[in-house]
Amino acid sequence: MSKAVLIDTTKCIGCRACQVACKSWNDLKGKKATFSETWSNPRFLSSYDYNRIIFREISHPDGRLDWYFIARRCLHCHDPACASACPVGALVKMPEGPVVYDDVKCIGCRYCMMACPFQIPKFEWESAVPLIRKCTFCADRLAEGLTPSCVATCPTGTLLFGERPALLKEAHRRIGAAPQRYYPQVYGEKTAGGTSSLYLTAVSFEELGLNHRGFRTDLGDVPQGLYGREWMSKVPYVGVAVGALAVGLHYFHQRRAEVQAEERKED
Amino acid sequence: MAQKVEKWYPGEGKLTPGWTIIYILLMLGFVAACARLYLGLGATTNLSDGYPWGLWVSFDILAGVALAGGGFTMAAAIYIFNLKKFEPLLRPAKLSAFLGYLMFIIGLFFDLGQPWRIWHPMVMWNPHSVLFEVSWCVMLYTAVLAIDLFIIGLERYGKESWVRFFRDIYLVLVVAGIMLSTLHQSSLGALYLLLPEKMSNLWATQALGPLFFTSAVIGGMSVVILESLISARAYKRQPEMDILPDFAKGLGIALLVYFAMKVTDLYARGVSVWVWDKAHFFFFLELLGTVALPALLLVYQKVRQSTTGLFWAAGLSAFGVVLNRFNVSLTSYGGYRSFSYFPSIIEIILTAALVALGIVIFDLGRKLLPIYKSELSGQSR
Ligand code: SF4
Ligand code: SF4
Repeated sequence: MSKAVLIDTTKCIGCRACQVACKSWNDLKGKKATFSETWSNPRFLSSYDYNRIIFREISHPDGRLDWYFIARRCLHCHDPACASACPVGALVKMPEGPVVYDDVKCIGCRYCMMACPFQIPKFEWESAVPLIRKCTFCADRLAEGLTPSCVATCPTGTLLFGERPALLKEAHRRIGAAPQRYYPQVYGEKTAGGTSSLYLTAVSFEELGLNHRGFRTDLGDVPQGLYGREWMSKVPYVGVAVGALAVGLHYFHQRRAEVQAEERKED
Repeated sequence: MAQKVEKWYPGEGKLTPGWTIIYILLMLGFVAACARLYLGLGATTNLSDGYPWGLWVSFDILAGVALAGGGFTMAAAIYIFNLKKFEPLLRPAKLSAFLGYLMFIIGLFFDLGQPWRIWHPMVMWNPHSVLFEVSWCVMLYTAVLAIDLFIIGLERYGKESWVRFFRDIYLVLVVAGIMLSTLHQSSLGALYLLLPEKMSNLWATQALGPLFFTSAVIGGMSVVILESLISARAYKRQPEMDILPDFAKGLGIALLVYFAMKVTDLYARGVSVWVWDKAHFFFFLELLGTVALPALLLVYQKVRQSTTGLFWAAGLSAFGVVLNRFNVSLTSYGGYRSFSYFPSIIEIILTAALVALGIVIFDLGRKLLPIYKSELSGQSR
């Protein structure tokens, strides 16, 4: 069955234990950190940062200040744009939930980076023969019956791992039980055709100022890959039609030229 | 018959400034290519996670293939629409189309993170992927063009029985070429169907496929005209001024159709064009300067009858096709990101060297193969 992670950002305290856990499980290299104007560190996802916490300080009209901590990672879409884009099928959605990547197939064309509506796949720019890197949903751990490394580490219960329908039910239960605490939508329930990372937030992503930084809210319920697939479903017909038309016109024009030549002869 | 090859490299004997530049570019390009392969994409290009696709995709791949559209356009005009009088333009168009696709493949090779896996789409299939279809069509069409040139070669070496065999099955090649070209020229635009949210709505449209196809026809036709004029100058030949004016009329019509398509599309999507920023500047430059203007120029018979007029009209519309590809892939995308991108010196050198390589091979091809009318012995294909 399809697993998912519910990320209740209202419970997150920004300790970044999940960032560390992700690095150590996936054996990702570290980098010397510097202060940044946004408090978030690292500033961007990269081929060696699959997961990061975004720090947002929001001032409300009544003068209150609030801190929000939003985990950023691959959403493991149900119908991933990255998988529809990849020419060699290196990215695949597993029935268990994770969208996984095959190091051996990838040709490094970076179309998946262009296509992913959440800008998740990153490239190993430092390497001479680079590959794509992104959150794996710890597919290797799931296969062993473990939970993802970040979930196992989170001290506050922000991250909840389970069956997707059960998690959605739980998310809506939480919204119903404390409407003042939550924005009444689960990001990922329908976004881009539905995802396996589900977000509960206190305010909307627009208000958080993140809707143009990875958490698009204008995608609708359509998986982006559909546009490409619709095109591809027409391709065989267009091909046959063009071919038939070309052959037909060729003989038509040839015949007409012959007839004209004959008429001229008769004159 | 083809003239005898007395020089073994282009420019030998008299090293003109033009050839000097070309050879310097080739040498620099060789160094840049080695650096790219040895050091990797990150070290040698300005590409980043914010801008995964840059100059090489915009120019070598998108623009290169569009400008190489002359091969299938001419083949369609002559064999499908029976416009036999344009036949003298066919062979140069085939040669330059082949070079365009060669550029594509070499450019792609250097652009891939894993260049040695360039063959993977042949055995690892993802029929949902537009890029998968593009790679197959390009591969097959390049093969078609190569066979085409091979037949011309056979002709030169007088292998008559072989030539006759190929002539019998020639229609198959022509139709396959047209089919494959229609598909991949439009699919190169369809690549961008997947990312409308990342693009400026000046260019993000569901009609990208048909628009790319039409502009590829324009690109191909303009290059055929330019090629005839420039090579006439370079090789001290007469340009085909008996047929070029008529051919240019066709280009004018294609430009008008394209203009109408673009305007209809913008109108149907209700795009507000009356804003003044960088994206809109390039947008108007493209639509008015390189589609409307050459179309207008070509209305005048005087322009069509003069080499200078033709040169400008075809030059503008060819430039317009290139500009369109840059707009779709970079300008449009740039408007959405807070990152910026400008190609690195290595990216620029490698691209320039590819163009230089194209010129050298064209020159060789011209010397080795019977490409021009005056060299054709009797009936031609
Ligand atoms: S978020 Fe992006 S990378 Fe992750 S599955 Fe969806 S499309 Fe693919
Ligand atoms: S970079 Fe690799 S994984 Fe991404 S689309 Fe290209 S081949 Fe597929």
